Amino acid sequence: MTKNITIFVLLIVFIAVFILAVFWGAVNMDFTQLSDTDLDILTYSRLPRVLLAGLVGASLSLSGVLFQYVMKNPLADSFTTGASASSAMGAVLAILFGLGFLIPVFALIGGVIGLTIVYKVSSVNGKVQPITMLLAGIVVSTFASSVISLMKYIADDSVASIIFWLMGGFQDASMQQVGVLTTVLIIAWLAIRKNYLSLDIICFDDSTAMASGVDVHPLRKKIFFIAALLTAICVGYAGIIGFVGLIIPHMVRLFKFVIASELVPISMLFGAIFMILNDLLARVILTDGQELSVGILTSAIGGAFFLYLLMKRKKELYYFD
Amino acid sequence: MRIYKNIIIKSILLIGTLCSFSSIGQAYERIVILYAPVSEIVKQLVGEKVVVGVTRTDLVFKKVYKVGSHLRPNLELIKAIRPDLIIAGSKRAYPEKMESRFSADFFRYDPTSIEDIFKQIRQLGDLLQVQPKSEQIITQLKNKLKQVQPLPDQPKVVYEISERPLRVAGKPSIMTAIIEYAGGLNMIDTNKKHVVISTEIVVDINPDFYIYQDGPMNKNPRPPIERSYFKPLRSKIILVDQYLFSRPGLNVIDAIVKLNQIFKEQL
Repeated sequence: MTKNITIFVLLIVFIAVFILAVFWGAVNMDFTQLSDTDLDILTYSRLPRVLLAGLVGASLSLSGVLFQYVMKNPLADSFTTGASASSAMGAVLAILFGLGFLIPVFALIGGVIGLTIVYKVSSVNGKVQPITMLLAGIVVSTFASSVISLMKYIADDSVASIIFWLMGGFQDASMQQVGVLTTVLIIAWLAIRKNYLSLDIICFDDSTAMASGVDVHPLRKKIFFIAALLTAICVGYAGIIGFVGLIIPHMVRLFKFVIASELVPISMLFGAIFMILNDLLARVILTDGQELSVGILTSAIGGAFFLYLLMKRKKELYYFD
Repeated sequence: MRIYKNIIIKSILLIGTLCSFSSIGQAYERIVILYAPVSEIVKQLVGEKVVVGVTRTDLVFKKVYKVGSHLRPNLELIKAIRPDLIIAGSKRAYPEKMESRFSADFFRYDPTSIEDIFKQIRQLGDLLQVQPKSEQIITQLKNKLKQVQPLPDQPKVVYEISERPLRVAGKPSIMTAIIEYAGGLNMIDTNKKHVVISTEIVVDINPDFYIYQDGPMNKNPRPPIERSYFKPLRSKIILVDQYLFSRPGLNVIDAIVKLNQIFKEQL
Protein backbone atom coordinates (compact mmCIF):
# COMPACT_ATOMS: atom_id res chain seq x y z
CA MET A 1 0.00 0.00 0.00
CA THR A 2 1.34 3.43 -0.86
CA LYS A 3 1.76 6.16 1.67
CA ASN A 4 -1.15 8.23 0.39
CA ILE A 5 -3.60 5.33 0.36
CA THR A 6 -2.51 4.29 3.85
CA ILE A 7 -2.95 7.81 5.17
CA PHE A 8 -6.36 7.99 3.51
CA VAL A 9 -7.42 4.65 5.05
CA LEU A 10 -6.07 5.69 8.45
CA LEU A 11 -7.92 9.00 8.21
CA ILE A 12 -11.18 7.15 7.62
CA VAL A 13 -10.42 4.83 10.56
CA PHE A 14 -9.54 7.86 12.65
CA ILE A 15 -12.86 9.55 11.86
CA ALA A 16 -14.75 6.31 12.60
CA VAL A 17 -12.93 5.82 15.93
CA PHE A 18 -13.40 9.48 16.82
CA ILE A 19 -17.16 9.27 16.19
CA LEU A 20 -17.36 6.00 18.14
CA ALA A 21 -15.48 7.56 21.07
CA VAL A 22 -17.76 10.61 21.09
CA PHE A 23 -20.94 8.52 20.83
CA TRP A 24 -19.97 5.92 23.45
CA GLY A 25 -19.20 6.70 27.08
CA ALA A 26 -20.16 6.25 30.70
CA VAL A 27 -23.43 8.10 30.12
CA ASN A 28 -25.73 6.81 27.37
CA MET A 29 -27.14 9.56 25.18
CA ASP A 30 -29.89 9.72 22.61
CA PHE A 31 -28.13 11.65 19.85
CA THR A 32 -31.40 12.31 18.03
CA GLN A 33 -32.68 14.17 21.06
CA LEU A 34 -29.87 15.54 23.18
CA SER A 35 -30.83 17.01 26.54
CA ASP A 36 -29.07 20.02 28.05
CA THR A 37 -27.12 17.70 30.35
CA ASP A 38 -26.04 15.56 27.40
CA LEU A 39 -24.83 18.66 25.58
CA ASP A 40 -22.92 19.79 28.68
CA ILE A 41 -21.29 16.38 29.03
CA LEU A 42 -20.30 16.38 25.36
CA THR A 43 -18.95 19.91 25.44
CA TYR A 44 -17.10 19.90 28.73
CA SER A 45 -16.12 16.27 29.28
CA ARG A 46 -16.26 13.89 26.35
CA LEU A 47 -15.17 15.97 23.39
CA PRO A 48 -12.11 17.56 25.07
CA ARG A 49 -11.16 14.14 26.36
CA VAL A 50 -11.35 12.39 23.00
CA LEU A 51 -9.46 15.24 21.33
CA LEU A 52 -6.75 15.29 24.00
CA ALA A 53 -6.37 11.49 23.81
CA GLY A 54 -5.85 11.73 20.05
CA LEU A 55 -3.37 14.57 20.38
CA VAL A 56 -1.37 12.85 23.12
CA GLY A 57 -1.29 9.64 21.07
CA ALA A 58 0.00 11.53 18.05
CA SER A 59 2.51 13.53 20.12
CA LEU A 60 3.94 10.52 21.95
CA SER A 61 4.24 8.59 18.69
CA LEU A 62 6.01 11.53 17.06
CA SER A 63 8.35 11.92 20.02
CA GLY A 64 9.09 8.17 19.90
CA VAL A 65 10.00 8.35 16.21
CA LEU A 66 12.21 11.38 16.85
CA PHE A 67 13.99 9.84 19.85
CA GLN A 68 14.70 6.71 17.77
CA TYR A 69 16.21 8.90 15.05
CA VAL A 70 18.28 11.06 17.37
CA MET A 71 19.70 8.09 19.27
CA LYS A 72 19.94 5.74 16.30
CA ASN A 73 18.44 3.10 18.53
CA PRO A 74 15.21 1.13 18.17
CA LEU A 75 14.72 1.01 21.94
CA ALA A 76 14.76 4.78 22.35
CA ASP A 77 11.56 6.46 23.51
CA SER A 78 10.52 8.93 26.15
CA PHE A 79 11.32 6.39 28.89
CA THR A 80 14.83 5.46 27.81
CA THR A 81 15.72 9.11 27.29
CA GLY A 82 14.60 10.06 30.79
CA ALA A 83 12.03 12.53 29.44
CA SER A 84 8.99 10.75 30.89
CA ALA A 85 10.46 10.01 34.29
CA SER A 86 11.93 13.50 34.83
CA SER A 87 8.65 15.15 33.74
CA ALA A 88 6.75 12.79 36.04
CA MET A 89 9.13 13.66 38.87
CA GLY A 90 8.21 17.33 38.47
CA ALA A 91 4.50 16.50 38.35
CA VAL A 92 4.65 14.27 41.43
CA LEU A 93 6.43 17.08 43.31
CA ALA A 94 3.48 19.32 42.44
CA ILE A 95 1.02 16.72 43.78
CA LEU A 96 3.07 16.19 46.93
CA PHE A 97 3.15 19.92 47.71
CA GLY A 98 -0.55 20.29 47.00
CA LEU A 99 0.03 22.29 43.80
CA GLY A 100 -2.09 20.11 41.55
CA PHE A 101 -3.08 23.03 39.33
CA LEU A 102 0.61 23.49 38.45
CA ILE A 103 1.23 19.89 37.35
CA PRO A 104 1.85 20.76 33.66
CA VAL A 105 4.30 23.53 34.62
CA PHE A 106 6.18 21.29 37.05
CA ALA A 107 6.21 18.48 34.48
CA LEU A 108 7.68 20.81 31.89
CA ILE A 109 10.32 22.09 34.31
CA GLY A 110 11.18 18.52 35.39
CA GLY A 111 11.42 17.42 31.77
CA VAL A 112 13.65 20.35 30.82
CA ILE A 113 15.98 19.75 33.79
CA GLY A 114 16.23 16.02 33.06
CA LEU A 115 16.91 16.51 29.38
CA THR A 116 19.41 19.29 29.99
CA ILE A 117 21.38 16.85 32.13
CA VAL A 118 21.12 14.15 29.44
CA TYR A 119 22.16 16.62 26.78
CA LYS A 120 25.10 18.03 28.77
CA VAL A 121 26.39 14.60 29.68
CA SER A 122 26.13 13.26 26.16
CA SER A 123 27.54 16.16 24.18
CA VAL A 124 31.24 16.62 23.51
CA ASN A 125 32.24 19.95 21.97
CA GLY A 126 28.62 20.55 21.04
CA LYS A 127 28.32 17.16 19.31
CA VAL A 128 25.74 14.77 20.65
CA GLN A 129 26.88 11.18 21.12
CA PRO A 130 23.83 8.94 20.61
CA ILE A 131 24.97 5.96 22.71
CA THR A 132 26.11 8.19 25.60
CA MET A 133 22.79 9.99 25.34
CA LEU A 134 20.92 6.72 25.69
CA LEU A 135 22.98 5.70 28.71
CA ALA A 136 22.59 9.12 30.31
CA GLY A 137 18.85 8.92 29.62
CA ILE A 138 18.59 5.59 31.40
CA VAL A 139 20.53 6.97 34.38
CA VAL A 140 18.32 10.09 34.59
CA SER A 141 15.23 7.92 34.23
CA THR A 142 16.37 5.61 37.03
CA PHE A 143 17.25 8.55 39.27
CA ALA A 144 13.92 10.28 38.61
CA SER A 145 12.09 7.01 39.29
CA SER A 146 13.84 6.64 42.63
CA VAL A 147 12.91 10.23 43.55
CA ILE A 148 9.30 9.42 42.63
CA SER A 149 9.46 6.32 44.85
CA LEU A 150 10.81 8.43 47.69
CA MET A 151 7.98 10.93 47.25
CA LYS A 152 5.46 8.10 47.23
CA TYR A 153 7.00 6.87 50.47
CA ILE A 154 6.76 10.31 52.07
CA ALA A 155 3.29 11.03 50.69
CA ASP A 156 1.39 8.49 52.83
CA ASP A 157 -2.24 9.59 52.50
CA SER A 158 -1.78 11.17 49.06
CA VAL A 159 0.13 8.15 47.72
CA ALA A 160 -3.02 6.87 45.99
CA SER A 161 -3.34 10.13 44.04
CA ILE A 162 0.29 9.89 42.94
CA ILE A 163 -0.01 6.24 41.90
CA PHE A 164 -3.23 6.82 39.96
CA TRP A 165 -1.81 9.91 38.31
CA LEU A 166 1.33 8.05 37.26
CA MET A 167 -0.81 5.41 35.53
CA GLY A 168 -2.01 8.08 33.11
CA GLY A 169 -5.43 9.27 32.04
CA PHE A 170 -7.46 12.01 30.39
CA GLN A 171 -10.02 12.72 33.10
CA ASP A 172 -8.88 16.31 33.53
CA ALA A 173 -8.95 17.17 29.80
CA SER A 174 -10.00 20.67 28.81
CA MET A 175 -10.30 22.59 25.56
CA GLN A 176 -7.48 24.83 26.78
CA GLN A 177 -5.14 21.82 26.93
CA VAL A 178 -6.39 20.72 23.52
CA GLY A 179 -5.55 24.18 22.15
CA VAL A 180 -2.03 24.22 23.61
CA LEU A 181 -1.14 20.71 22.49
CA THR A 182 -2.60 21.24 19.00
CA THR A 183 -0.45 24.36 18.57
CA VAL A 184 2.71 22.64 19.83
CA LEU A 185 2.10 19.52 17.74
CA ILE A 186 1.50 21.49 14.55
CA ILE A 187 4.62 23.60 15.10
CA ALA A 188 6.65 20.46 15.89
CA TRP A 189 5.37 18.63 12.82
CA LEU A 190 6.04 21.61 10.55
CA ALA A 191 9.55 21.93 11.98
CA ILE A 192 10.24 18.24 11.36
CA ARG A 193 8.53 18.06 7.98
CA LYS A 194 11.26 19.94 6.13
CA ASN A 195 13.90 17.61 7.60
CA TYR A 196 12.46 14.27 6.49
CA LEU A 197 15.34 13.47 4.15
CA SER A 198 17.94 14.59 6.69
CA LEU A 199 16.33 12.31 9.31
CA ASP A 200 16.76 9.33 6.99
CA ILE A 201 20.36 10.30 6.26
CA ILE A 202 21.39 10.56 9.94
CA CYS A 203 20.54 6.87 10.28
CA PHE A 204 23.87 6.30 8.57
CA ASP A 205 27.12 7.11 10.35
CA ASP A 206 27.85 10.76 11.05
CA SER A 207 30.61 11.08 8.44
CA THR A 208 28.36 9.82 5.65
CA ALA A 209 25.54 12.06 6.82
CA MET A 210 27.81 15.11 6.93
CA ALA A 211 29.28 14.25 3.54
CA SER A 212 25.71 14.21 2.24
CA GLY A 213 25.31 17.80 3.40
CA VAL A 214 23.37 17.22 6.60
CA ASP A 215 24.25 19.41 9.56
CA VAL A 216 24.07 16.41 11.90
CA HIS A 217 24.59 17.90 15.36
CA PRO A 218 22.29 20.94 15.14
CA LEU A 219 19.65 18.63 13.66
CA ARG A 220 20.01 16.18 16.55
CA LYS A 221 19.71 19.04 19.04
CA LYS A 222 16.60 20.32 17.33
CA ILE A 223 14.75 17.01 17.13
CA PHE A 224 15.82 16.11 20.66
CA PHE A 225 14.35 19.38 21.95
CA ILE A 226 11.10 18.92 20.00
CA ALA A 227 10.64 15.31 21.17
CA ALA A 228 11.37 16.31 24.77
CA LEU A 229 8.95 19.23 24.68
CA LEU A 230 6.17 17.03 23.30
CA THR A 231 6.80 14.38 25.97
CA ALA A 232 6.87 16.89 28.84
CA ILE A 233 3.57 18.46 27.77
CA CYS A 234 1.92 15.05 27.34
CA VAL A 235 3.11 13.88 30.78
CA GLY A 236 1.89 17.14 32.32
CA TYR A 237 -1.57 16.72 30.83
CA ALA A 238 -2.07 12.97 31.00
CA GLY A 239 0.52 11.37 33.29
CA ILE A 240 2.82 8.60 32.17
CA ILE A 241 1.35 6.64 29.31
CA GLY A 242 3.78 3.89 28.58
CA PHE A 243 4.79 2.09 25.44
CA VAL A 244 3.07 4.30 22.86
CA GLY A 245 6.21 6.11 21.72
CA LEU A 246 8.09 2.83 21.48
CA ILE A 247 5.64 0.49 19.80
CA ILE A 248 3.69 2.70 17.41
CA PRO A 249 6.70 3.57 15.20
CA HIS A 250 7.75 -0.08 15.20
CA MET A 251 4.27 -1.24 14.23
CA VAL A 252 4.32 1.23 11.34
CA ARG A 253 7.77 -0.02 10.30
CA LEU A 254 6.47 -3.59 10.29
CA PHE A 255 4.11 -2.49 7.55
CA LYS A 256 7.17 -1.35 5.58
CA PHE A 257 6.85 2.39 6.12
CA VAL A 258 10.44 3.08 7.07
CA ILE A 259 11.40 6.43 5.59
CA ALA A 260 10.67 9.57 7.61
CA SER A 261 8.20 11.06 5.13
CA GLU A 262 6.03 7.94 5.65
CA LEU A 263 6.93 6.97 9.17
CA VAL A 264 6.22 10.36 10.80
CA PRO A 265 2.70 11.11 9.51
CA ILE A 266 1.53 7.49 9.63
CA SER A 267 2.88 7.02 13.18
CA MET A 268 1.11 10.19 14.33
CA LEU A 269 -2.20 9.11 12.83
CA PHE A 270 -1.88 5.54 14.07
CA GLY A 271 -0.86 6.79 17.54
CA ALA A 272 -3.92 9.03 17.71
CA ILE A 273 -6.25 6.15 16.75
CA PHE A 274 -4.56 3.79 19.20
CA MET A 275 -4.84 6.25 22.08
CA ILE A 276 -8.47 7.21 21.43
CA LEU A 277 -9.41 3.52 21.37
CA ASN A 278 -7.52 2.85 24.60
CA ASP A 279 -9.16 5.79 26.33
CA LEU A 280 -12.55 4.65 25.11
CA LEU A 281 -11.93 1.21 26.59
CA ALA A 282 -10.70 2.78 29.85
CA ARG A 283 -13.98 4.72 30.07
CA VAL A 284 -16.41 1.90 29.34
CA ILE A 285 -14.76 -1.36 30.35
CA LEU A 286 -15.88 -1.15 34.01
CA THR A 287 -19.43 -0.89 35.31
CA ASP A 288 -21.16 1.95 37.19
CA GLY A 289 -19.11 4.71 35.56
CA GLN A 290 -15.85 3.51 37.07
CA GLU A 291 -12.69 4.25 35.11
CA LEU A 292 -9.50 2.39 34.44
CA SER A 293 -6.15 4.13 33.98
CA VAL A 294 -5.26 4.45 30.30
CA GLY A 295 -1.60 3.58 30.91
CA ILE A 296 -2.59 0.08 32.03
CA LEU A 297 -4.38 -0.56 28.75
CA THR A 298 -1.77 0.98 26.43
CA SER A 299 0.93 -1.22 27.93
CA ALA A 300 -1.21 -4.37 28.00
CA ILE A 301 -2.92 -4.09 24.61
CA GLY A 302 -0.02 -2.42 22.84
CA GLY A 303 2.46 -4.91 24.25
CA ALA A 304 0.37 -7.94 23.32
CA PHE A 305 -0.34 -6.66 19.82
CA PHE A 306 3.29 -5.76 19.24
CA LEU A 307 4.42 -9.19 20.41
CA TYR A 308 1.96 -10.79 18.02
CA LEU A 309 3.26 -8.70 15.14
CA LEU A 310 6.85 -9.52 16.06
CA MET A 311 6.14 -13.24 16.06
CA LYS A 312 4.21 -13.15 12.82
CA ARG A 313 6.43 -10.82 10.90
CA LYS A 314 9.85 -10.91 12.56
CA LYS A 315 11.64 -11.60 9.30
CA GLU A 316 10.31 -8.36 7.88
CA LEU A 317 11.69 -6.23 10.71
CA TYR A 318 14.96 -5.77 8.91
CA TYR A 319 15.34 -2.04 9.23
CA PHE A 320 17.67 -2.00 12.21
CA ASP A 321 19.53 -5.24 11.35
CA MET B 1 16.25 -2.35 111.68
CA ARG B 2 17.68 -2.09 108.17
CA ILE B 3 15.70 -5.16 107.05
CA TYR B 4 12.43 -3.71 108.40
CA LYS B 5 13.21 -0.39 106.69
CA ASN B 6 13.69 -2.18 103.35
CA ILE B 7 10.48 -4.15 103.79
CA ILE B 8 8.54 -0.98 104.54
CA ILE B 9 9.99 0.87 101.52
CA LYS B 10 9.33 -2.08 99.19
CA SER B 11 5.81 -2.44 100.57
CA ILE B 12 5.12 1.23 99.93
CA LEU B 13 6.46 0.88 96.37
CA LEU B 14 4.38 -2.24 95.79
CA ILE B 15 1.22 -0.62 97.09
CA GLY B 16 1.96 2.42 94.95
CA THR B 17 2.38 0.26 91.88
CA LEU B 18 -0.80 -1.67 92.62
CA CYS B 19 -2.66 1.59 93.19
CA SER B 20 -1.46 2.95 89.88
CA PHE B 21 -2.68 -0.21 88.13
CA SER B 22 -6.01 -0.06 89.86
CA SER B 23 -6.38 3.58 88.86
CA ILE B 24 -5.93 2.55 85.20
CA GLY B 25 -8.23 -0.36 85.84
CA GLN B 26 -7.83 -2.33 82.60
CA ALA B 27 -6.09 -5.36 81.24
CA TYR B 28 -3.37 -3.73 79.16
CA GLU B 29 -0.39 -1.61 80.13
CA ARG B 30 1.42 -1.05 76.84
CA ILE B 31 -0.87 -0.25 73.94
CA VAL B 32 0.35 0.62 70.44
CA ILE B 33 -2.18 2.36 68.17
CA LEU B 34 -1.52 2.08 64.43
CA TYR B 35 -4.68 3.80 63.28
CA ALA B 36 -5.11 7.41 64.41
CA PRO B 37 -8.95 7.59 64.29
CA VAL B 38 -9.17 5.17 67.24
CA SER B 39 -6.81 7.21 69.45
CA GLU B 40 -9.45 9.59 70.81
CA ILE B 41 -11.63 6.62 71.75
CA VAL B 42 -8.76 4.90 73.58
CA LYS B 43 -7.88 8.16 75.34
CA GLN B 44 -11.43 8.58 76.58
CA LEU B 45 -11.60 4.94 77.65
CA VAL B 46 -8.30 4.55 79.52
CA GLY B 47 -6.49 7.88 79.47
CA GLU B 48 -2.99 8.50 78.17
CA LYS B 49 -0.73 6.49 80.47
CA VAL B 50 -1.04 3.06 78.88
CA VAL B 51 -0.49 4.14 75.29
CA VAL B 52 3.20 3.71 74.42
CA GLY B 53 3.29 4.04 70.65
CA VAL B 54 1.32 5.71 67.86
CA THR B 55 1.75 6.58 64.18
CA ARG B 56 3.32 9.85 63.17
CA THR B 57 0.04 11.44 62.06
CA ASP B 58 -1.56 10.83 65.44
CA LEU B 59 -2.46 14.18 66.99
CA VAL B 60 -4.00 12.76 70.19
CA PHE B 61 -0.94 11.19 71.81
CA LYS B 62 1.87 13.61 71.10
CA LYS B 63 4.44 12.56 73.69
CA VAL B 64 4.71 8.83 73.00
CA TYR B 65 6.91 6.87 70.59
CA LYS B 66 6.19 7.33 66.92
CA VAL B 67 6.29 3.97 65.16
CA GLY B 68 6.07 4.96 61.49
CA SER B 69 2.92 5.61 59.52
CA HIS B 70 -0.36 3.70 59.42
CA LEU B 71 0.51 2.37 55.97
CA ARG B 72 4.09 1.49 56.86
CA PRO B 73 4.50 0.86 60.58
CA ASN B 74 8.05 0.20 61.73
CA LEU B 75 7.94 -3.35 63.08
CA GLU B 76 11.32 -3.06 64.78
CA LEU B 77 10.22 0.02 66.73
CA ILE B 78 6.97 -1.65 67.71
CA LYS B 79 8.86 -4.70 68.96
CA ALA B 80 11.25 -2.50 70.92
CA ILE B 81 8.49 -0.91 72.96
CA ARG B 82 7.05 -4.33 73.89
CA PRO B 83 3.34 -3.76 73.40
CA ASP B 84 0.80 -6.05 75.02
CA LEU B 85 -1.98 -4.79 72.76
CA ILE B 86 -1.81 -3.53 69.17
CA ILE B 87 -4.77 -1.68 67.68
CA ALA B 88 -4.63 -1.44 63.88
CA GLY B 89 -6.87 -0.32 61.03
CA SER B 90 -7.91 -2.05 57.82
CA LYS B 91 -6.41 -5.32 56.59
CA ARG B 92 -4.98 -3.40 53.65
CA ALA B 93 -2.88 -1.21 55.94
CA TYR B 94 -2.03 -3.96 58.40
CA PRO B 95 -2.39 -7.48 56.95
CA GLU B 96 -3.41 -10.39 59.15
CA LYS B 97 -0.04 -12.12 58.73
CA MET B 98 1.59 -9.20 60.60
CA GLU B 99 -0.37 -10.11 63.73
CA SER B 100 1.63 -13.28 64.23
CA ARG B 101 4.88 -11.31 64.39
CA PHE B 102 4.08 -10.02 67.86
CA SER B 103 3.16 -11.78 71.04
CA ALA B 104 0.79 -8.93 71.84
CA ASP B 105 -2.98 -9.17 71.64
CA PHE B 106 -4.52 -7.60 68.60
CA PHE B 107 -7.60 -5.51 67.92
CA ARG B 108 -8.72 -4.38 64.46
CA TYR B 109 -10.65 -1.10 64.28
CA ASP B 110 -12.14 -0.67 60.81
CA PRO B 111 -15.73 0.56 61.01
CA THR B 112 -17.68 1.47 57.87
CA SER B 113 -20.90 2.55 59.58
CA ILE B 114 -22.03 4.40 62.69
CA GLU B 115 -23.33 1.14 64.17
CA ASP B 116 -19.88 -0.34 63.56
CA ILE B 117 -18.31 2.53 65.51
CA PHE B 118 -20.61 1.93 68.48
CA LYS B 119 -20.01 -1.82 68.25
CA GLN B 120 -16.26 -1.41 68.15
CA ILE B 121 -16.23 1.09 71.03
CA ARG B 122 -18.15 -1.52 73.04
CA GLN B 123 -15.68 -4.25 72.00
CA LEU B 124 -12.77 -2.03 72.99
CA GLY B 125 -14.45 -1.33 76.32
CA ASP B 126 -14.75 -5.08 76.92
CA LEU B 127 -11.16 -5.70 75.86
CA LEU B 128 -9.78 -2.93 78.07
CA GLN B 129 -12.15 -3.87 80.89
CA VAL B 130 -13.75 -0.43 81.07
CA GLN B 131 -17.27 -1.39 80.01
CA PRO B 132 -19.08 1.37 81.96
CA LYS B 133 -16.86 3.97 80.33
CA SER B 134 -17.51 2.63 76.82
CA GLU B 135 -21.27 2.59 77.45
CA GLN B 136 -21.04 6.17 78.70
CA ILE B 137 -19.24 7.27 75.52
CA ILE B 138 -21.81 5.51 73.33
CA THR B 139 -24.65 7.17 75.23
CA GLN B 140 -23.00 10.57 74.81
CA LEU B 141 -22.60 10.01 71.09
CA LYS B 142 -26.18 8.84 70.70
CA ASN B 143 -27.39 11.90 72.59
CA LYS B 144 -25.37 14.11 70.30
CA LEU B 145 -26.95 12.38 67.31
CA LYS B 146 -30.34 13.55 68.57
CA GLN B 147 -29.36 17.04 67.35
CA VAL B 148 -29.85 15.78 63.79
CA GLN B 149 -33.04 17.28 62.42
CA PRO B 150 -35.31 15.81 59.77
CA LEU B 151 -35.04 17.36 56.31
CA PRO B 152 -37.92 18.28 53.99
CA ASP B 153 -36.34 16.22 51.18
CA GLN B 154 -33.53 13.71 50.99
CA PRO B 155 -30.72 15.54 49.14
CA LYS B 156 -28.66 13.70 46.51
CA VAL B 157 -24.97 13.83 47.42
CA VAL B 158 -21.60 12.99 45.87
CA TYR B 159 -18.51 13.02 48.12
CA GLU B 160 -15.12 13.64 46.49
CA ILE B 161 -12.16 11.86 48.08
CA SER B 162 -9.57 13.19 45.65
CA GLU B 163 -9.53 15.44 42.62
CA ARG B 164 -6.71 13.73 40.71
CA PRO B 165 -7.92 11.24 39.73
CA LEU B 166 -11.55 11.94 40.52
CA ARG B 167 -12.28 9.45 43.31
CA VAL B 168 -15.54 9.53 45.20
CA ALA B 169 -16.89 7.73 48.24
CA GLY B 170 -18.58 4.43 47.44
CA LYS B 171 -21.22 2.58 49.40
CA PRO B 172 -19.23 0.81 52.14
CA SER B 173 -17.52 3.93 53.48
CA ILE B 174 -17.77 6.06 56.58
CA MET B 175 -18.56 9.05 54.35
CA THR B 176 -21.71 7.31 53.11
CA ALA B 177 -22.68 6.63 56.71
CA ILE B 178 -22.18 10.31 57.59
CA ILE B 179 -24.22 11.46 54.57
CA GLU B 180 -27.07 9.08 55.31
CA TYR B 181 -27.23 9.88 59.03
CA ALA B 182 -27.26 13.58 58.11
CA GLY B 183 -30.33 12.93 55.96
CA GLY B 184 -28.74 12.72 52.51
CA LEU B 185 -28.28 9.97 49.95
CA ASN B 186 -24.90 9.07 48.49
CA MET B 187 -25.61 8.68 44.78
CA ILE B 188 -22.59 6.44 44.21
CA ASP B 189 -23.87 2.95 44.74
CA THR B 190 -20.68 1.05 43.90
CA ASN B 191 -19.60 -1.54 46.43
CA LYS B 192 -16.12 -0.08 46.99
CA LYS B 193 -14.83 2.38 49.59
CA HIS B 194 -13.26 4.66 47.00
CA VAL B 195 -14.37 4.72 43.37
CA VAL B 196 -12.42 6.23 40.44
CA ILE B 197 -15.37 7.63 38.54
CA SER B 198 -16.17 9.24 35.23
CA THR B 199 -16.70 12.98 35.37
CA GLU B 200 -19.65 12.41 33.03
CA ILE B 201 -21.46 10.33 35.63
CA VAL B 202 -21.20 13.07 38.25
CA VAL B 203 -22.56 15.70 35.82
CA ASP B 204 -25.34 13.29 34.81
CA ILE B 205 -26.28 12.57 38.44
CA ASN B 206 -26.38 16.33 39.05
CA PRO B 207 -26.34 15.95 42.87
CA ASP B 208 -27.97 18.54 45.13
CA PHE B 209 -24.72 18.70 47.09
CA TYR B 210 -21.19 18.08 45.88
CA ILE B 211 -18.93 17.66 48.90
CA TYR B 212 -15.17 17.80 48.42
CA GLN B 213 -12.59 17.39 51.14
CA ASP B 214 -9.34 19.17 51.90
CA GLY B 215 -6.60 17.18 53.58
CA PRO B 216 -3.68 14.84 52.93
CA MET B 217 -5.71 12.75 50.45
CA ASN B 218 -6.79 15.82 48.50
CA LYS B 219 -4.24 18.56 48.97
CA ASN B 220 -5.41 22.04 47.99
CA PRO B 221 -8.16 20.82 45.67
CA ARG B 222 -9.51 23.21 43.05
CA PRO B 223 -13.11 24.23 43.70
CA PRO B 224 -15.18 22.00 41.38
CA ILE B 225 -16.58 24.97 39.51
CA GLU B 226 -13.05 25.94 38.41
CA ARG B 227 -12.55 22.55 36.77
CA SER B 228 -13.42 22.46 33.10
CA TYR B 229 -15.37 19.18 33.26
CA PHE B 230 -17.56 20.44 36.13
CA LYS B 231 -18.55 23.74 34.51
CA PRO B 232 -22.12 22.45 33.98
CA LEU B 233 -22.45 21.23 37.59
CA ARG B 234 -25.36 23.03 39.30
CA SER B 235 -24.87 21.45 42.72
CA LYS B 236 -24.32 23.29 45.96
CA ILE B 237 -20.64 22.91 46.74
CA ILE B 238 -19.42 22.12 50.25
CA LEU B 239 -15.75 22.05 51.28
CA VAL B 240 -15.07 19.89 54.34
CA ASP B 241 -12.07 18.93 56.47
CA GLN B 242 -10.81 15.44 55.68
CA TYR B 243 -9.89 14.85 59.33
CA LEU B 244 -13.47 15.50 60.40
CA PHE B 245 -15.26 13.57 57.65
CA SER B 246 -12.97 10.75 56.53
CA ARG B 247 -11.65 9.45 59.83
CA PRO B 248 -14.01 6.97 61.44
CA GLY B 249 -13.52 8.11 65.03
CA LEU B 250 -15.56 10.07 67.56
CA ASN B 251 -15.40 13.05 65.16
CA VAL B 252 -17.88 11.31 62.87
CA ILE B 253 -20.83 12.30 65.04
CA ASP B 254 -19.77 15.98 64.88
CA ALA B 255 -19.48 15.60 61.09
CA ILE B 256 -23.04 14.22 60.91
CA VAL B 257 -24.46 17.08 62.98
CA LYS B 258 -22.52 19.66 60.95
CA LEU B 259 -23.59 18.19 57.60
CA ASN B 260 -27.19 17.97 58.72
CA GLN B 261 -27.10 21.68 59.63
CA ILE B 262 -25.66 22.53 56.21
CA PHE B 263 -28.35 20.47 54.46
CA LYS B 264 -31.05 22.14 56.56
CA GLU B 265 -29.76 25.65 55.86
CA GLN B 266 -29.24 25.20 52.15
CA LEU B 267 -32.21 23.08 51.13
